[in-house]
Amino acid sequence: MCSVALMGMIFEDDSSGAWNEMFEAPGKPRPIYERLFAEIDRFDPAELLQRSDQLSHTFLDRGVTFAHSGEERPFPLDLMPRLLGAIEWDLLERGISQRVRALEAFLGDVYGAGQVFEDGVIPKSVVTTSSHFCRAAHSIEPPNGVRITVAGIDLVRDEIGKFRILEDNVRIPSGVSYVIENRRAMTQTFSALFSNHRVHPVDSYPARLLAALRLAAPYGIGDPVVVVLSPGVYNAAYFEHVLLARMMGIELVEGRDLVCRSNHVFMRMTNGERPVHVIYRRVDDDWLDPLQFRPDSVIGVAGLVNAARAGNVALANALGNGVADDKLVYTYVPDFIRFYLGEEPLIENVETFRLEDPDVLGEVLQSLDAYVLKPVDGSGGKGIVIGPQADEQTLTSVRDAIIMSPRNWIAQRPVALSTHPTLVDEQVSPRHVDLRPFAVSGGQGVWVLPGGLTRVALGAGELVVNSSRGGGSKDTWVLNDQLVAPRGPATDVGQPPRNAGVIPRQNDEYTDQEAEQ
Amino acid sequence: MAKASYNEARMTPVATHNQSVRQAHVSVQPSVPLYSYVDYFGTTVTAFDIQDLHTILEVEARSTVESRAAILERPINWGQIRDERLVDTYSEYLGATARTQLSHEALANAAAWPGQLDLHECARAVGDFVRTRVQYVPGATTVSSTAEEAWSRGEGVCQDITHITIGLLRTLGIPARYVSGYLYPSSDSDIGDVVAGQSHAWVEYFSGVWTGWDPTNGVGETENHIIVGRGRDYDDVAPLKGIYQGPSSSSLGVSVEMSRIV
Amino acid sequence: MSEQGMLSRLAESLYWIGRYVERADDTARTVDSYVHRMVEDPFNDEDATCRSLLSILGMPYEKDEPITRADMLQVIVYDVENPNSIAGAFSGAYENARRSRDFISSEMWIALNKTRNRLPQMESTARLLGPSSYLEYVRERTALLAGLTDATLSHDDGWNFLVLGRTIERIDMTARLLRGRVLSAEHAPDWLAFLRANGAMESFMRSTNELHDANSVATFLILDRLFPRSVLFSLNLADSCLFEIQPSGQRIASADMARQSLARARGRLDFMDSSQLLAQLPELLEMLEDTCLLVNDAITTKFFRHEDAVLWSSEGAL
Repeated sequence: MCSVALMGMIFEDDSSGAWNEMFEAPGKPRPIYERLFAEIDRFDPAELLQRSDQLSHTFLDRGVTFAHSGEERPFPLDLMPRLLGAIEWDLLERGISQRVRALEAFLGDVYGAGQVFEDGVIPKSVVTTSSHFCRAAHSIEPPNGVRITVAGIDLVRDEIGKFRILEDNVRIPSGVSYVIENRRAMTQTFSALFSNHRVHPVDSYPARLLAALRLAAPYGIGDPVVVVLSPGVYNAAYFEHVLLARMMGIELVEGRDLVCRSNHVFMRMTNGERPVHVIYRRVDDDWLDPLQFRPDSVIGVAGLVNAARAGNVALANALGNGVADDKLVYTYVPDFIRFYLGEEPLIENVETFRLEDPDVLGEVLQSLDAYVLKPVDGSGGKGIVIGPQADEQTLTSVRDAIIMSPRNWIAQRPVALSTHPTLVDEQVSPRHVDLRPFAVSGGQGVWVLPGGLTRVALGAGELVVNSSRGGGSKDTWVLNDQLVAPRGPATDVGQPPRNAGVIPRQNDEYTDQEAEQ
Repeated sequence: MAKASYNEARMTPVATHNQSVRQAHVSVQPSVPLYSYVDYFGTTVTAFDIQDLHTILEVEARSTVESRAAILERPINWGQIRDERLVDTYSEYLGATARTQLSHEALANAAAWPGQLDLHECARAVGDFVRTRVQYVPGATTVSSTAEEAWSRGEGVCQDITHITIGLLRTLGIPARYVSGYLYPSSDSDIGDVVAGQSHAWVEYFSGVWTGWDPTNGVGETENHIIVGRGRDYDDVAPLKGIYQGPSSSSLGVSVEMSRIV
Repeated sequence: MSEQGMLSRLAESLYWIGRYVERADDTARTVDSYVHRMVEDPFNDEDATCRSLLSILGMPYEKDEPITRADMLQVIVYDVENPNSIAGAFSGAYENARRSRDFISSEMWIALNKTRNRLPQMESTARLLGPSSYLEYVRERTALLAGLTDATLSHDDGWNFLVLGRTIERIDMTARLLRGRVLSAEHAPDWLAFLRANGAMESFMRSTNELHDANSVATFLILDRLFPRSVLFSLNLADSCLFEIQPSGQRIASADMARQSLARARGRLDFMDSSQLLAQLPELLEMLEDTCLLVNDAITTKFFRHEDAVLWSSEGAL
């Protein structure tokens, strides 16, 4: 691996064949990165490190952490932001919205009429054998028809720079709190950078979510009581539950704060009980209602499923959404888009092989080391085997597991995820990144938060990008680049702007307007 | 003594081609509001919660049902039953569940059956085989026993005999489901006589239409078989399930009384 | 706000944040004055002093072998597992703050979180250089937290529960410390040091021209109406918190066990002949400690009605 020194900063070159987000050639940034590169390049590396240090302290103090093996860890924020241009974002936004609309239609169908089976779009057995298919959810109709209030769709960029869908998360997708906190930290640490870029704000997310949750209220409830239901302080995403409850100005409750009586839900208050109408639940299906699912759950609420069935409380996201996250079902999503929406998919899947077909299975088993193998119900990178990087023993055990139950695995063509310059060990090196945009829906169209969470694998060459596996994240900027006025000849770029360090007032006003549209 | 309890009863007979439900009423002591819905498998569920201290929970289901014996339809053939589309449609009734899973030793018998038999003959043959190998012994097993446990014991009740029969039929590629219901003991008691009936379980297999077979008694679905619900196995149609808060000291009992009114 | 009430679980967490932060503060002040006495007094019996302090703080040392100052500090100051130690109290406050993080202000959260992250480092320094920097840090941080509580939190039910906790803890601690001073005077700091430990030196001096004797100090700490750490002041504050939390139902005072207990204690103090205070002190202090227990139980029953996590049993099936 060779290194190119450029004006003080060392950007380690990448020779992995992966798409580099920032550079089109060594030392030559892509157009949208030009300004950022020029700015960052002016920083003294020591100063950059200092800022990075300061950032991680800020996160620890603020308690911006995730719980891992019983320990509170900060989710490291890398200083180098990830940039997305307006045109590119427009495609992603439409593609994600399309995807969510199709998944929504699919879930409504699966737990209702089952037209998708009648028409042979997907075998019924694929759905009924999914471990997240929830028979108790059958015929529970959400008041506003929305089962996917929040979606997190994972994208990767392949070797030729094309975004592809890696997986869908429509159960309880997490990570949006880092998007909000990362932006807050970055605007504090690098206010000057923001003054030279038109970056779409992300702080309207909680208001959007609350509006969507209110729209989910049961019939006839004009001013619903909305709560966030958390498994409690030991949950990995507890920080996020707190942040969202706080920013939405609603109660954060645990299962023991709630009680169901005759299919109505109440929370226990100091002065009695108060009815609850909408529950943004961050507890998995299995643990949600000990009457219907695991009787040993102490974090759920007994009777909750029937309260939802009776239409007295709305659960967001709905029960049983996990069937849409199943990675075998994932392979059918492009067909769902055609079937329900009559559209062609705007963003393609990663090339995936269904192992239930004996011929395909045979082919994959022949050269396991050429594929990425994923359990269909895993999330967070759990159980994934990356063939080209796996040792003999791992391959043997995954082979046995696949032969035992081909339904529970898929194989994918390995994608060299795109890389992005990242500050690692006092040096800027390419690291693999993915992107999880978040979409919110209250039944009046799907809104996609500009940007989303860029996760970065901090180990060199590491392809699984996940916080629980030592990953970090980047602030993701969606640029409104058409609106950036030309800044004079390129030779000017090296000069510090006169207002460095100060966010100009008109920029604030601009972003405020943007948020309201 | 329970501080609170949440319950679901599946005791209301279902309307079918051969069974019309004139009246159905479920009541609960202590008296609480009841909520009913139809579940994924088409069974009527009565759900309720009790928030006061209670030591006894009594659920009473009263129904008036008009039933007649099913007429045996001509079965589809073995080729049709293995049709890809049919297999997919009924896949839930073809795969093993934890309750119906059988060991290789038990399944070894399955290979011999199809032979020249049609689907009806085959289902009967399987049922008869199970009945000869597993003695009907009340109390030999519990409600949570599996097919395999009863098989290796050689004893069981209707629930176990049904689970084993289902397990074998599915292995043969015949969709089979568990039926929960009541059995009226004999047709010759007089109209209006109240007789002790029983909770009962039998099998329905797919032969073009769903067809009942009672492997415990070696008979088809007669007018004495009152269907409450069907599912993949017992767990989908358990007559009463629930959770309660309090020391674990519950004991359950059931009694079924039936009388002919016509 | 009171009409709305608040989540019971949250109210309980806030109450305990109040108690734990106050406990850390009071303990730091006390330990500081005792350690000072040990250092200054060449005839001090270290073992007996440590035992006396531990017993006041409700952690009697029952082993025969002598206890050293370092042992005592370990138990009272650094032991995170012990909810009565300073580090333990901070940990308790932190755990409750985590559970009420959506309610307390970010500044309170950050202050508390930062303190908790910093304590291990402060401890290493203190083990080398003596506890005073640690204790001073604790006093500063608790003062900061108290200030942030009052300045960044709406004075609604949540705030009232927090202040209630703080107040009950303060009465309890003051009563314990006075008992130590009275019952085992030979080990305790002298009265002036005692005042200083309570941050009461200047206020006391200004409040009276009388002799600065034991009786006048005890009178000040118990009966002064204006000094915020006095018992009477705290009893009044606790009562007003409870009044704010539940303004309705005030017609029948006896319906509220907690307020009833507070009123009974205040009645005792109201009719107290201050010149006789010292003589009645032991009995009075015991009464105050009992009051704290009663009030604590009454509000727990009345307001913190949430269930602990319920473990359900399966009915089995038919």
